[in-house]
Amino acid sequence: MALKETISEYRRPLLGVASVVGLTLVWEIAYTYFIPLDPFFFTKPSLIGVAVKDQTLSGELWKDLAISSKAFLWGFSLAVIVGIPIGVFMGWRRRAEYVLDPFLTALYASPLVALAPLFIIIFGVGLTGKVALIFLLAVFPFIFNVFAGVKCTDRLLVNVVRAFGGKEKDIYFKVILPSILPYIVAGARIAIGRGIVGILVAEFYGASEGIGFAISRFGDTYRLPEMFAAILLLMIMAVIFTEGLRKLETILAPWKIGQEAR
Amino acid sequence: MSPDPNLITRHTGQSRIERNSRALVRIGVSALARFYREREQPILGAGFILLLILAWQSLPAIVSLPRGISLFFTTPVEVVKAFYRLVEANEIQSHVYVSALEFIVGLGLAIAVGFPLGLVMGRSKVIDAMLDPFITAFNATPRLVFLPLLMLWLGIGIWSKITIVFVGAVFPLLINTYEGVKNVDRVLVNVVRSFGANEWQTMKIVVLPNSVPYIVAGLRLAIGRALLGVVVGEFFGASKGLGFMIATAATNYKVDVVFVGVTIFMGLSLILTHLVKMVESRLSRWRLEEAKTF
Amino acid sequence: MAPCIQATNVSLTFRPKNREPVTALREFSIEVATGEFVSIVGPSGCGKSTFLNILLGLLKPDAGETRLNGTQIAGPGQERAMVFQEFGLLPWRTVLANVELGLELKGVAVAARRSRAMELIQMTGLAGFETHYPHELSGGMKQRVGLARALATDPQVLLMDEPFAALDAQTRDLMQAELLQVWDRTKKTVIFVTHSIEEAAYLSDRVLVTSARPGRIKQIIKVQLPRPRDYEMRLSAKFNEIKAEIWNALKEELLGRGAGNGT
Repeated sequence: MALKETISEYRRPLLGVASVVGLTLVWEIAYTYFIPLDPFFFTKPSLIGVAVKDQTLSGELWKDLAISSKAFLWGFSLAVIVGIPIGVFMGWRRRAEYVLDPFLTALYASPLVALAPLFIIIFGVGLTGKVALIFLLAVFPFIFNVFAGVKCTDRLLVNVVRAFGGKEKDIYFKVILPSILPYIVAGARIAIGRGIVGILVAEFYGASEGIGFAISRFGDTYRLPEMFAAILLLMIMAVIFTEGLRKLETILAPWKIGQEAR
Repeated sequence: MSPDPNLITRHTGQSRIERNSRALVRIGVSALARFYREREQPILGAGFILLLILAWQSLPAIVSLPRGISLFFTTPVEVVKAFYRLVEANEIQSHVYVSALEFIVGLGLAIAVGFPLGLVMGRSKVIDAMLDPFITAFNATPRLVFLPLLMLWLGIGIWSKITIVFVGAVFPLLINTYEGVKNVDRVLVNVVRSFGANEWQTMKIVVLPNSVPYIVAGLRLAIGRALLGVVVGEFFGASKGLGFMIATAATNYKVDVVFVGVTIFMGLSLILTHLVKMVESRLSRWRLEEAKTF
Repeated sequence: MAPCIQATNVSLTFRPKNREPVTALREFSIEVATGEFVSIVGPSGCGKSTFLNILLGLLKPDAGETRLNGTQIAGPGQERAMVFQEFGLLPWRTVLANVELGLELKGVAVAARRSRAMELIQMTGLAGFETHYPHELSGGMKQRVGLARALATDPQVLLMDEPFAALDAQTRDLMQAELLQVWDRTKKTVIFVTHSIEEAAYLSDRVLVTSARPGRIKQIIKVQLPRPRDYEMRLSAKFNEIKAEIWNALKEELLGRGAGNGT
C-alpha cells in the first residue's frame, strides 16, 4: 500500500528545467557583473550561444562531425558484425566459452585505450587508425551482452522448436535472435560511449580533422565559446543516442533486463 | 575402483615388469583424463592465453616479417626484458608513482563526492529532480571530452589528471548509490519505522545495507573509468606517468616499452577488479545467488 | 476503564497521481479490550491493512481518531508491533539480529537485547537457527522470526497483517496453533487481519466482518468457543456454525462486488 503521494505530476520536469535555466542565468550574471574571469580561460552562456549559432550555420562543425561520424560508423558496424557472432558462439558452445571467456574478459576489463598511440603509429591518423581503435573499444560490449543474452535464452523454447522439427538454423533465427535482441541494444548503448572515447582519443592524439580535433584546436587557440559549443553539441548527440537506445530497450523488453554497463 | 580384469588374465607371455609398466601407463592416462575432465574450464582458458602468447613469441621465427611491420613488432620476451631494463634504470617506478597518485586521489575524491550525493539524491525528490538533467547529460557523454578544457585550466601537472579521473569515476558511483537507495524495499522501511526508527536510523539499518551491492558494483565501474582517465590524461599533457611513458615510447617506435605500460595497466585493472569482486561476494553472503547474473 | 484500542470514525482516502482517488476507509470504528484477540475479515481492498497501518502510526487518517489506552496515537511506538504478511525481514541480518531490531532501536544494551532475543527465539521454536540468514529459512520459519521480532519489545498490542497468507496450508495450521500458545502465554491484545474465515473463527474472541470498499464494520461475531482451543475443535458442529455465520455476513459483500473480481 503506497503512502500518500503529495508531489504532483509535473513537479519533477519543472524542477529540472528550472535548475538548468537557473544555473545558466547565474553563470551569465556572475560572469558579466561579478567575477569577470580571463576570457582566454572562461566564457559565458550568451557567448556560447552565439558560437553554437555560428558554428552550426557556417557548417564548419558539421564537417568535423561528419568526418568523425564516418569513422564511428565504420568502427561501430565492424564491432556489431564481429561481436555478435562471437557472443552467440560463446553462449551456445560450452567449450567456446571456456576457451575465450578468460582472455576476452581480461581484455574487456583492461584500459585498452592504452594501445591508442600504437594503433595510431601503425595505422596512421586517418580513417583506418580511428576505425581500428573504435572497433577495439566497442566490440566487447557486444560480445559480452550477446553472450549473456544467449545464456539467458530459455532452453525450453529451443526444445519446443526442435520438437516441431526445427533445424539448427531455425533455433538461431526463431529463438536465440529474438531473445538476445534487447541485450544487443543494451550492448549498443554501452558501446556508443566507448566508441566516442575512441574517437576523442584518436582525434585528440593526432588527427587534423574531426570533432575531437576541433575541440582540442579550439582549446589550443583559446576560443572558449567555440570549444564549449562543440562539447555541448557532442553531449546533446550522446544523450539522444543513449536515451533513445534506453527507450528502445524498454520497448523490446518491457519485462526489463537491467543489464548495466560493466 | 576395482582393477581392470584384462590386466590379470591376458599377456601371460609378458614379464611382470612389462605388465606392471603397461598398467601404470593406463592408470596414468586415465588419471590425466580425469584431471582434465574435472578442470576443463581453467585448462582451456589458461591454455588459450598461453597458446596466444607462444604464437606471438614464435611468429617472427616462423614467417619473416617485412621491414615495415617488424618496426612495429615486438615479442613477449622483448617486453619482459624491457620491463627489467626500466626497473633497473629506476625509470618505471616514478611513472607508476605518478599514475598511482592520480588514480588514488581522483578516485578518492569521486567516492567522497559521489557516494553522499547519491544518498541525498535517493532520499530527496527535489534535489533528485534538480540534478537529474545534468547527471543524465554528463553520464551519457564520455567525460574525456573535457580533457582539453582541463588542460587549459589546470596545466599539465597532476591536477588536470586528478580532475579527469574524478569526473570519470564520480558518475558511476553517484548513479549506483542512487539506484541502491531508490530500490530499497518499502516494506522494510515500514518495518523499521514501525519500530520507531527516525530518518537516520532508517538510513543506517535499511537503506545503506540495501545499497551496498550497488555501490560496490559502481566502484567496479568507477575503477575502469578512473584508469581510462589516467591513461588518456597522461597521453596528452604530462611529463610523467605510465600513459606518458606509453605515448613517448610509441612516438619513438619503442614498441616493447609500449607493451610494458599496457601490460601494467592490464594487470592493475585485473587485480583491482578482482579485489572488488571479492568484496562483492563477501558482502553479499546474505543474498541468494543474485550476484551470479553478472 | 478505557478499551485498549479505540478507533472512532476513521476515514482515509488515497489520492494517487493520474488515477481516481480511492476511499479505503469511511467512518471505521472499533473497540478492542485489553488481552482480546480480534480478527478482521473482509473482501480484498476493503482497507484492512490500511487500518492496521493507521493503528501502527505509519499512516495518518483524514478524519476520526485512534486511541491506545485512551491516548491519541500520533506515530509509531513500541507499545504496538506488527507482523507483516511479506515477513519484512532484513535480508542482510541473521535471525538473531532480525529479532533484536526493535530492541536495538529502543536503545537496549547489547547483552540485554541478546538474552531477550534468545528468549523469544526459544519461545517461537527458532532455536538452532540464530545465525541463519532469512533466505535460508522456509516461509514458516521466516514468519516465526517476524513474530519473535514483534514480541521482543514486549508490546501491548500485536498487529498481524495476514501473517500466514504466504504459507502453505499445513504450515499455516501449525503456525495458528503455535500463535495461540504464544498468545496464551503472553496475553497480548491482538488485531489479526485475514482472508480466511476458518483462521478467524479458530483464533479469535471476536470476528469483525467488514464491508467492501470503502470499508466499514458490517457485523461483529462473538466466537464462543472455550479456550485453550485445539485442532479437533475445528471439526465440531459449533465451530461450523460460527464459520457459517461469518460466511453469511461476508457473502453479500463478495458477491456484491461482481463475480471474479476479488480473491
